[in-house]
Amino acid sequence: MSSGLSLAHEPVSKVPHGKLAMWIFLASEIMFFTGFFGAFIVLRNSNLELFSHSAGELNKWLALLNTFILIGSSLTMALSILNLEKGNTGKFKLFLGLTILCGFGFLIVKTIEYSTKFGHHIFPWTNVFFSFYFLMTGFHAVHVIAGMIPMTFMFIKAFTKKGYNHPVKVETLGLYWHFVDLVWIFLFPVLYLIFPSH
Amino acid sequence: MSGHHPDSNAMFGSYIRVASALFGLTVLTVLAAMDWVPKSWGEAGNTLHIAIGLLIAVVKSFMVFYIFMHLKFDNKFIRAFVFVPIFLFFVLTFALNVLGP
Repeated sequence: MSSGLSLAHEPVSKVPHGKLAMWIFLASEIMFFTGFFGAFIVLRNSNLELFSHSAGELNKWLALLNTFILIGSSLTMALSILNLEKGNTGKFKLFLGLTILCGFGFLIVKTIEYSTKFGHHIFPWTNVFFSFYFLMTGFHAVHVIAGMIPMTFMFIKAFTKKGYNHPVKVETLGLYWHFVDLVWIFLFPVLYLIFPSH
Repeated sequence: MSGHHPDSNAMFGSYIRVASALFGLTVLTVLAAMDWVPKSWGEAGNTLHIAIGLLIAVVKSFMVFYIFMHLKFDNKFIRAFVFVPIFLFFVLTFALNVLGP
């Protein structure tokens, strides 16, 4: 970009408007999850016994599997953007498709986890730990679904005659997707791992 | 393309390295959460578990922010959108836990 003035880029940060808007949204998203983490820490400190007992009921191996799935999906997302920028549409479609598959995989594992909990008569109203467990992982799962909707749209469009050639849009969605991975990076140790085992 | 990141071959290498590090650190988080701290350490042992778990999560999150989300290559101005909310997170957590009831 030669001149400082352009409609496509925001003049201070020199990033496309959509990307800047996504970062502003993500800043608000960090605060959204901050509220949950802050409340969780306070309640944990005053209910240590209940929290460590309840956390022991969680299946950390399924959560570990989901962590691997999400990290894998972040990688495939980054690779799909890279390939679209290079004009390699075949690999772009392959990696975007894999990212969507990982999203489905994550949701399937989450469903297994939830249904096992319900089978053991553990519900969001069972106690304050499980309220937070279902609230935080539930909101996170909603974010995964929200990311998969535009991703599927782009994927389908990529197979049309016109194809899908908007690297900045995919990059903007990628930012959101990596953020969803990032939230899970914190949810995993905080909910599943940091409590002393009994 | 907005970023001034290195050429795509270099980026490919970075992505693979970061993803491998994220997988490795995830395994390390699980290992660190096992019962290796002597029971006699009591509350200090729990604190150590939490500190290690969160420290690894912070390292992982910076890898995602800087490489996957291109903070390393984009304008530094963008970093404010990460660091301001994180600062507010610490203020909130400190206020609730240290100054709170």
